[in-house]
Amino acid sequence: MRNAAALEAAEQLDLTGKLGLADAALGVAKSLGASYADLRLCRYQTEYFEVRERRLEESSAGLSAGFSVRVLLDGTWGYASSPLATVDEVKRVTARAIEVAKASQPLQLRKFVLEDVPVYQDRWDMPMKADPFKVPADEKIAKLMAMNDAALKAGADYATAAFAFVREEKFFASSRGSRIEQTRVRVMPDTEVTVIDKASGHFATRDGLAAPRGSGYDYILSYDFTGEAAKAAEQAREKLKAKPVEPDDYDLVLDPTNLWLTIHESVGHPTELDRALGWEANFAGTTFVTPDKLGKLKYGSSLMNIIADRSQEGGLATVGYDDDGVRTSGAEFPIIKDGIFVNYQMAIGQAQLIGQKSSNGCAFADSWSAFPIQRMPNVSLVPNPKACSLDDLFADVKHGIYIVGNGSWSIDQQRHNFQFGGQLFYEIRNGKLGGMLRDVAYQGSTVEFWNSMDGIGDASTYFLGGAPNCGKGQPEQTAPVSHGAVPARFRQVTVLNTARKVLT
Amino acid sequence: MILDEGDAQSLANKILGLSKADSCIVTISGDESRHIRFAQNMATTNGSPGDIEVSVESHFGKHSGAASGTDLGDDALVALVAASEMTARLAPENPEFMPPLGPQKYVEETGFSPATEVVTSAMLAAAVQPVLRQAQAKNLQASGFLEAGVSFSAFATSKGLFVYDRETEVLHTVTARTPDGTGAGWAGTTHYDFSKLDAAAMGSVAIDKAVRSQKPSRLAPGKYRVILEPSAVSDLIGILVAEEFDQRAADEGRNFATKEGGGSRLGDTVFGKNVTIYSDPNDPVAPGGIYSDDGLPAQKTMWIENGVLKNLQCSRYWAQKSKLQPVPGPTTLTMVGGTTSIADMIKQTKRGLLITRFWYIREVDPQTVLLTGLTRDGVFLIEDGAITKPVCNFRFNESPAAMLNKVVALGPSVRTYGEEGPGLPVAAPPLLVDEFTLSSVSDAV
Repeated sequence: MRNAAALEAAEQLDLTGKLGLADAALGVAKSLGASYADLRLCRYQTEYFEVRERRLEESSAGLSAGFSVRVLLDGTWGYASSPLATVDEVKRVTARAIEVAKASQPLQLRKFVLEDVPVYQDRWDMPMKADPFKVPADEKIAKLMAMNDAALKAGADYATAAFAFVREEKFFASSRGSRIEQTRVRVMPDTEVTVIDKASGHFATRDGLAAPRGSGYDYILSYDFTGEAAKAAEQAREKLKAKPVEPDDYDLVLDPTNLWLTIHESVGHPTELDRALGWEANFAGTTFVTPDKLGKLKYGSSLMNIIADRSQEGGLATVGYDDDGVRTSGAEFPIIKDGIFVNYQMAIGQAQLIGQKSSNGCAFADSWSAFPIQRMPNVSLVPNPKACSLDDLFADVKHGIYIVGNGSWSIDQQRHNFQFGGQLFYEIRNGKLGGMLRDVAYQGSTVEFWNSMDGIGDASTYFLGGAPNCGKGQPEQTAPVSHGAVPARFRQVTVLNTARKVLT
Repeated sequence: MILDEGDAQSLANKILGLSKADSCIVTISGDESRHIRFAQNMATTNGSPGDIEVSVESHFGKHSGAASGTDLGDDALVALVAASEMTARLAPENPEFMPPLGPQKYVEETGFSPATEVVTSAMLAAAVQPVLRQAQAKNLQASGFLEAGVSFSAFATSKGLFVYDRETEVLHTVTARTPDGTGAGWAGTTHYDFSKLDAAAMGSVAIDKAVRSQKPSRLAPGKYRVILEPSAVSDLIGILVAEEFDQRAADEGRNFATKEGGGSRLGDTVFGKNVTIYSDPNDPVAPGGIYSDDGLPAQKTMWIENGVLKNLQCSRYWAQKSKLQPVPGPTTLTMVGGTTSIADMIKQTKRGLLITRFWYIREVDPQTVLLTGLTRDGVFLIEDGAITKPVCNFRFNESPAAMLNKVVALGPSVRTYGEEGPGLPVAAPPLLVDEFTLSSVSDAV
């Protein structure tokens, strides 16, 4: 054995054991007066490898298992969790959830009401070619070493490369009768190279462009990491000597490696119904997309079509059932159709508040100890049905910048004003791609920005980006989510120069 | 799940006893908490989560590997140790390997309060109730989060080190909004002692700000004299010191403290003389954990003293290589304050802005620690020594390293909390700062 599968020896419940715990939790909840209850029993197997230069910085394996019980008592929520999955503990924790709900009842101005959702007894396993947990640890480490070696040979002064792997196993049981087992896997590569110019005290970094995915190890094997590492070192060196950008309004062509995050922040988050209802007002924020805008707001140009799904291959939000037990296959929906805002993302108990019938499958809890809240499905830009290449997008640009990869990102709590950086910036002059620029960030306002989009790539240019760590909720939860994108052209966007001198 | 010191030590010894490695480190951590979450003047998702984690790092020579788990059963512990040893055996030699520490001397933990340990959900609800009543009475919508909990951690090595740390924490944040969505106010803090929390008073601050911030005017972006409330200050200094004060990165030429021509600016006066920032695990206002990286004792550490860069975080390996003392990361942060109250700062200001807090801060340029982010929940214009009107939020593009050279006045340092900081207990003053760069206007309220 050459990996941490030894952890598998730790006790694991079979389905009969899980069903027994479900009966215990749901039985206690019912006897104590809950109108609804569910149990989420989860197990997360993780691995993390990090190599700095030619040295292994970390190799670790983890196994986190536990459960939570959520109850609705006279319209008030309560939940509790524990790492100890025994019948007695499940009963104690269920009673604690009831106690929490009871204590919170004096604050329940309006009762929560849950719509009926179909009941399922099912098992769903993410299709995958190569299980990353079956690949020997030394093989994964050797791959990371080779990546850094390529970067250092190509002129990087420093290089960091890491792989994180997660297997998420969830068992869901609701008082309505659903019993669902699910397994999925995430692979998350992360790389960075740094080059130094000692004389000036300046340095430049170039992050890797490989996205995290809901995939097996086959995704890692299919990506040319060493090729990219070498290229990254050269490009970082080029960055040091690149021309500083002149602040101005530019036409931007955003590569999908950059645009996916802009979609996440300026389309994904604003169209979350819990934000529109004010439930995130104290933390993640509200949204400018208020319910009166449903079916009316011209969010973007007519080229803009945004779809939401939890079924896309490789998607980090892809799963068979959401954490309310709602089936996701067949629940795909458009968020923006021909530029018009047409649908919110919803979890259970929300649809009726805007006159709709049922959740569209967007609940997620990030661990066994978390309460499921509305989280993003995969939210993606639909490619141009007409043929359009990256060069076609450049062709019509006189004074522009082409931006590749993600830099810094920031957006306000109602999702109007944003600022994004990138990894690589290239001048576009009179339809042709020119030399590299540096210190670029673009600012915009969501609706104005998306309405300025007048060209998008076709399906051949599609790229599935994503983030493993989108934050929301209190206590804060981090969700994995993917975003498909094609390159797109935006007219007259404000660009800043971000260079500064700071110390005395 | 909370283990007391004796149980934690027994568990650590049991795991160390299973180890066949040359050396071994065991860490155990757990928590139990309760929270009430509310929005639109009512409870939303209320809970009582608990967690535990035990991890083992095994070493064979300079080969090391780690494994962690949540199962404390005997079989699971055997599997855990085996997994960490297998991981270590498969790992290439780490030339920077440092053997585990032996026994160390630690200060007494002062960030624990029995009053917080016994908090029930009913007590949390009772504390939140007046906030909701006040909001309803003023026709406002209150949202927030009140959490109280206990956490522990233990660190043990095969060289005889054992340290146990138990802390309590209360987090209270509240946002009030006007129903028309044109006004918003916020207040928030952390504390270790629930009995010191005045939730109703926090609610009043948020409510007052929501009322006063209604229907803001748009001002042109630009460089402004600003008064930053303690929450805003805590975010900026927290990111700077906890995340960017790095000796190795500076020596390697990839840090704000890198010197032209090589080396770091340690010992140089790089900030204004009125700036002093330190960490002290026994700080009376913001006590913190008693141990840090590798089990090194947390002790009073001066980061910036009267503008001089006094210390950068430094690992044991880098310290040995560079003939420096190791400096573990901070477990708490205090910026020394002054005597100018916010009211006095307003009086001293001909034209400027009062900023409540920040949101969504991200690093734009690691070379300069240039950060971008937004103001949130109350920005007010000051003209001729008085607040004249609420104004729209701004995006800022500013470096805390630059800001600490532009501090005009400081108020008293208080326990505070910012959503964007590194999550440490922080005491920070309000600051009057010149030429703070606000790069665009946001329509968000």
